[in-house]
Amino acid sequence: MATATYPLGGALAPTKRPALSEYLRWSIDHKIIGVQYMVTSLIFFIIAGTMAMLIRWELLTPTIDLMANGSSYNTLFTLHGTMMIFTWIVPMFAGFGNYLIPLMLGAKDMAFPWLNAFAFWLIPPAGLLLLAGYFVGPAEAGWTSYPPLSTIYSPDGQTLWALSIHLLGLSSILGGINFIVTIKNMRPPGMGWFQMPLFAWATLATSIIVVLATPFLAGALTLLILDRVAGTTFFNPVAGGDVLLWQNVFWFYSHPAVYIMVLPGFGILSEILSVHSRKPIFGYRMVALSSMAIAIVGFTVWAHHMFTSLQPELRIPFMITSFIIAVPTGIKIFSWIGTIFGGKIRLNSAMLFALGFLSLFVIGGISGVMLGAIPVDIHMHDTYFVVSHFHFVLYGGSVFAIYGGIYHWFPKITGRMLNERLGKIHFVLTYFGFLFTFFPMHILGMQGMPRRVAEYDPQFQNLNILVGLSAFVLGISTFVIIYNMLVSVVRGKVAGANPWRALTLEWQTSSPPPAYNFVGDPIPFEDPYGYGTDASKAYLDAMEARFGASYNPEKPKALPPTNSTPALEPSAGD
Amino acid sequence: MQRDLLELGLTKAEEQALQNRRTGIFIFQVSWILTFVCLAIVNWQMRFSSNWMPNPDDRLGVIIASIATGVLGASALLIRRSVMVVNNHHLSRFLRLWLMVIGLGVVFVGLIGYEWVIVPTGTQYAQVFRLMTGFHIFHAVCIGIYLGLVYVNGRKRVYNANDYLWAVEAGAKLWYFVLVAWLLFYVVIYWI
Repeated sequence: MATATYPLGGALAPTKRPALSEYLRWSIDHKIIGVQYMVTSLIFFIIAGTMAMLIRWELLTPTIDLMANGSSYNTLFTLHGTMMIFTWIVPMFAGFGNYLIPLMLGAKDMAFPWLNAFAFWLIPPAGLLLLAGYFVGPAEAGWTSYPPLSTIYSPDGQTLWALSIHLLGLSSILGGINFIVTIKNMRPPGMGWFQMPLFAWATLATSIIVVLATPFLAGALTLLILDRVAGTTFFNPVAGGDVLLWQNVFWFYSHPAVYIMVLPGFGILSEILSVHSRKPIFGYRMVALSSMAIAIVGFTVWAHHMFTSLQPELRIPFMITSFIIAVPTGIKIFSWIGTIFGGKIRLNSAMLFALGFLSLFVIGGISGVMLGAIPVDIHMHDTYFVVSHFHFVLYGGSVFAIYGGIYHWFPKITGRMLNERLGKIHFVLTYFGFLFTFFPMHILGMQGMPRRVAEYDPQFQNLNILVGLSAFVLGISTFVIIYNMLVSVVRGKVAGANPWRALTLEWQTSSPPPAYNFVGDPIPFEDPYGYGTDASKAYLDAMEARFGASYNPEKPKALPPTNSTPALEPSAGD
Repeated sequence: MQRDLLELGLTKAEEQALQNRRTGIFIFQVSWILTFVCLAIVNWQMRFSSNWMPNPDDRLGVIIASIATGVLGASALLIRRSVMVVNNHHLSRFLRLWLMVIGLGVVFVGLIGYEWVIVPTGTQYAQVFRLMTGFHIFHAVCIGIYLGLVYVNGRKRVYNANDYLWAVEAGAKLWYFVLVAWLLFYVVIYWI
């Protein structure tokens, strides 16, 4: 274990934010690539979010009125789901990983910078390929694309859909390999596995899932494309094919993919809760290892998505594994509550979103356990209860974590603080907009409203109006953070190197960090979450002495309006 | 096959890069072999199909595939030998061995390609057979092209010592991948 009580690398070169044009072209700097991932995914989020607004608009009344026909509606929820998953949440977390992992490990870049850039540049064309379906008849088989809907009943856009997901899968695999190699090989001396930030653990677990699960998606998509364009009949029962083949292979990827979409959020949450509670992570090793447990057990639960089509004798084993996976997740929840309990909590925007995550994800987790029970699942299958469940996990969980991460690391990425007042407005609108959008869906589902329909029984209209209006509030809330980011990147208060007085290595360099991140090799503090000790105070004071004062959120006082950090001489011992 | 990094006289950065490449290609192999596992599972599940193989005579015999497997195995042994040779700086011997590997690879692709063409069609067995062997041939050809590039560059002597080492090592590892993937398919298609 490292015994250093003072940070630091060598001299700090003056830095300034990269020019806008650098983000629009090929770059192998992981920080540029990280921002490219984030901004690209945010654009797709807005497109997919607009689709969600159209869905809710259509559902304000029980009859089809906004859409031309049911196919248009099918297309809308197909592309909404696909884009939210594959072009928003997954690449957004990849963006966080790209930006932060090398910094957290004290590395100068990712292990394979060129491959990193290549993996990113697969995403924009893949996203456009999805949308290009509108020119040839868009995909309309849902994000799960079950045959025969996706084979004989969908237009050519479904083929583009499959090609697009192929590209996105390849991008994920390349990114996953890069993360694993970086984390395994490029940790600095003094940072063993159990001195690693929990975000790195979460990214490692996610990457393991990605490299082991995504090849199965590639296999399934290859079969789908061949069925559509080459005349094969793998999924056509009339010719001896098997539709359950798709369901098995697809879910063998797509259930672990749920953890691809939420584990990085767990990592972000661990960082935020500890830093803003000024307390060590409660049960660090258990939190770290539970990520790996989720990654492993996640491969054994896929058939719970197929309870209604599975042989009865296979249902119970999958029900049991589905319950088991709640255990490592519960360990995390328990640890996070233990972390904030008795802490000196800063109730800023990052922390609010982290607490929002905790409350909403628990609801999503509980409804997940309910759906893991065979009798409940058979009753609720394909109802709005399921829609509610996965939005509580993926919006209440993943998207809240993304927002929390943005508020937490925006100062590092841009050198500027986000506006806290706007952040709190954003939180209130998002939290209550979300709650009133998705909680009533539980009730609609239990009452029997099916998902993926544009027309519904008039008895469900009142709740659908409440859901629709809340969804519009939720949609509007997105623009609050976008406005906040656009304004703050220009006029925000100067952040300094470490405005949160955090102990992980990404804060041990200027904001934004210079090319190659550190001059010299930074020395990690012995415990990345060791807040509240004399040693950590000495470490943080030494950091401030080295890098200059940072913005202090508890005693706001403007720093000099500059993007540059003055060059510092190396100190003794560097 | 891997020489001690200290013996190579690499700088710290070069050593790191080589370690990263080795770890990276290993993870890639573990990951990508799973697409082949996926297709093996497809083979297994499709056996329950009503149109799997109405006529047992439609199933291909093992002779040609066994010869192809032997050829591929021999090429893998040769590529291992060629890596050892190049590590000892015997460039001309390396080039000879490397060319033999490529030649055996061409023979392998030709034999399996022949099977791909002659398999009686109209059954799920034939579809799955063509899918699996076609997928494998695609990988063998792509990696074979890479081996060809290594050979051409070797003849031009464009590599410096360290790059040369990695290019050859990577080629060998990718060719082992072709062998392992084929062994999986060979057992599943012809013996189970």
